[in-house]
Amino acid sequence: MSIYTRRRIANGLVTSLSIGATAFGLLWLVLVLWTLLENGIAAITPALFSQMTPPPGSAGGLLNAIFGSVVMTLIATLVGTPTGILAGTFLAEYSRGSRFGEAVRFINDILLSAPSIIVGLFVYEVMVVRMGHFSAWAGSMALAIIVIPVVVRTTEDMLTLVPNALREAAAALGSPKWKVIVMVSYRAAIQGMVTGVMLAVARIAGETAPLLFTALNNQFWSTNLNAPMANLPVVIFQFAMSPYADWQVLAWGGALLITLTVLCLNIGARALASWGTFKQ
Amino acid sequence: MSPPQATGRLVMPLVPSDPDVREPEMMPSQKAVIRNVDFYYGNFRALKNISLPLHDKRVTAFIGPSGCGKSTLLRILNRIYELYPGQRATGEVLVDGENILTPGLDLNLLRAKIGMVFQKPTPFPMSIYDNIAFGIRLYERLTRSELDDRVEAALRRAALWDEVKDKLRQSGLGLSGGQQQRLCIARAVAVEPEILLLDEPASALDPLSTQRIEELIAELKDDYCIAIVTHNMQQAARSSDYTAFMYLGDLIEFDETERIFTHPKQKQTEDYITGRFG
Amino acid sequence: MAADIALVGRSAAQRGGAGSIGDVVFRALTFLFALLVLLILGGVIVALVEGALPALRTFGLAFLFSDIWNPVTEKFGALAPIYGTLVTSAIAMLVGIPVAFGVAVFITEICPIWLKRPLATMIELLAAIPSIIYGIWGLFVFAPFVQQYIQPSLIASLGQIPGFGALFAGPPLGIGVLTAGFILAIMVLPFISSIMRDVFETVPAILKESAYGLGATRSEVVRQVVLPYTRIGVVGGIMLGLGRALGETMAVTFVIGNAHRISVSILQPGTTISASLANEFTEAVGDLYLSSLIALGFILFVITFIVLAIAKLMLLRLQQRAGG
Repeated sequence: MSIYTRRRIANGLVTSLSIGATAFGLLWLVLVLWTLLENGIAAITPALFSQMTPPPGSAGGLLNAIFGSVVMTLIATLVGTPTGILAGTFLAEYSRGSRFGEAVRFINDILLSAPSIIVGLFVYEVMVVRMGHFSAWAGSMALAIIVIPVVVRTTEDMLTLVPNALREAAAALGSPKWKVIVMVSYRAAIQGMVTGVMLAVARIAGETAPLLFTALNNQFWSTNLNAPMANLPVVIFQFAMSPYADWQVLAWGGALLITLTVLCLNIGARALASWGTFKQ
Repeated sequence: MSPPQATGRLVMPLVPSDPDVREPEMMPSQKAVIRNVDFYYGNFRALKNISLPLHDKRVTAFIGPSGCGKSTLLRILNRIYELYPGQRATGEVLVDGENILTPGLDLNLLRAKIGMVFQKPTPFPMSIYDNIAFGIRLYERLTRSELDDRVEAALRRAALWDEVKDKLRQSGLGLSGGQQQRLCIARAVAVEPEILLLDEPASALDPLSTQRIEELIAELKDDYCIAIVTHNMQQAARSSDYTAFMYLGDLIEFDETERIFTHPKQKQTEDYITGRFG
Repeated sequence: MAADIALVGRSAAQRGGAGSIGDVVFRALTFLFALLVLLILGGVIVALVEGALPALRTFGLAFLFSDIWNPVTEKFGALAPIYGTLVTSAIAMLVGIPVAFGVAVFITEICPIWLKRPLATMIELLAAIPSIIYGIWGLFVFAPFVQQYIQPSLIASLGQIPGFGALFAGPPLGIGVLTAGFILAIMVLPFISSIMRDVFETVPAILKESAYGLGATRSEVVRQVVLPYTRIGVVGGIMLGLGRALGETMAVTFVIGNAHRISVSILQPGTTISASLANEFTEAVGDLYLSSLIALGFILFVITFIVLAIAKLMLLRLQQRAGG
């Protein structure tokens, strides 16, 4: 076999393996989504959205869990977004090259990828133990801690993209620095920053581990933020691991709901990001 | 609108510029004086001992090959370099007798008094109206109709009013390049500065827009002291009253434009003007 | 009017007013929240250490090496969870890295331009799917599949090899270390692939074109130009994927079988640190039990922190080389 033939074979091998790997990856995506749809669609009934989580052996819905998830996601976003934006602003506008800024950036990226169950443990120690009981507040705070690093990262990246010429133009009019940031830089970066928030929300919408020992779960309808609150991920965990068929059906339904929400937010965020580039 | 109270010394005369009372052509007043100014990027000395005056109601042009320091000099006049660590200026720049290089000076107030237009048009991501109103709102509290008047006046000054009067609420980013630059000029004059710094304002524009900008500058000079950096010598020769030729951080020659372009005193100036280098 | 404003000599109250106060306040505000990020990490460390202390004091260093986990006699050891964490992550890396690499090569070098964006998006959707979805899918769909087809064939083939075959011994249960590792692979491959892609794209086009211009095949360009150039970044991406795999909770919890024991065979059930925490924390009675679980969490934190820190440093170095 000539060298050239050998090279061609090697090339063909690498190419086909790459194509195979990609097909392999996509296969699992399709499989997961397909079985999710298949098993979950049976649970998508009006009852899902109107009834509470039932005791084993009876029919019901996921209303309290949906409510709890929405409420805690909302609180986490309201707390985590301004925090993340301000911290990201510091990194982008005030700390160029400083050691403190580098340290914050480094730690932030570690928090970004840190196991979310550790966050749950942390909030358990700091809030649940201190307060003496599980609560939706604790769950929201755990989710907020997951939101913050995402928003910090996207805010810093987006603000850094704002051209210096824009800042100079505002400063040249006599604008104090904070107004340059708030009225010009933020406006210029708003698209990217909103995208970041959407991605953060998509991330916490499906997070289970941080809620396991903070908000716990609640069989009944509750609007008390100071007590355990039902939420979709923990309900799915409990129901899916159980031996009861109708619980398992509900679990699939909840899983389908979460996945649809997460995918919509993700795709929406991407669409928003590219719409911005067309507008400019 | 009452002017803010100033302390006793160093106050500008409150006499507004009256177009019928022109100062004698022979004696234009010096609005600003640059005296023994050095500029450093870190340890690199980019400007060496620059001294020259800027005359009021006149256009002073700065010409020279790339890297000669003309933009650097311009940026000293409103201390915009202070946005970046590691850059510093020594010497004096007297504006109406006051040294603006004094440390501790309120830079925002300085920049309200000395406006700047940059090479690349930089409209803010807001409506045309808000672009103009941005600078005004920083320092003045006006009623809606007063603000409307100021915005219109600024846009008329920049010869942009007719083109945008029906779309003031639209984003400034939707304008063409030439229009955007006139928007930036309108934005700069809206805060009623005394000195206008123009850093190659037309270099990013097409020839037609460039011409309009030049006409604009000719009108504006009636009310402002204008300093313009340009790499276009014909533009300098046409539009300015005084010209400064710089090379590698030194001021080679400063004189009335007519004399520089017809009888330059330095050989380097002559070489540059005739195109022998740069 | 600006004309009337004298610059020097204004009293401080008049000068700049809202501007300078606003600047001071805003800067302080942003600084405080940036500091908060550091404080959160510090708080996590302190809280974990505080909670783990009773267990660590009781068991000492032996905690790391004991595989006993008995809530009744209150004897706990971290070896089984640590072992499970490391083995499942190792399987995830073994399967995930080649696939991620193949995907990255395909998207950056082979795929037609119009397909790049949608394909990349789809692969990234794999990362967007929450862990619990993989868990429930793994439990009901994948594990039975593994039990019916994959495990028997593994036992029949690789399991027959003397010595090495012990890795594939035991009854096919479906759930177990291998299944968990495999699902982890699917979950981390988009992360690794995405970083590899970003890193491959930093290779200057002229470098690749020079190689192609000499008649190199695609595989040669990838192996001899792209990979060496991006070596540090690729390793950084792998470490990032590893960091994720180590900390994954819900997907693993569903399919690993939650048995506090160490088996040679990867077909058997086991447990990981995060799975133990997820399963047992809310039911743990007794301070020592709770503290041992928190100690597990602390160990996981230390491991992932080190891995992620190394990953970040490597990616930073690549960034510096590429010119920021």
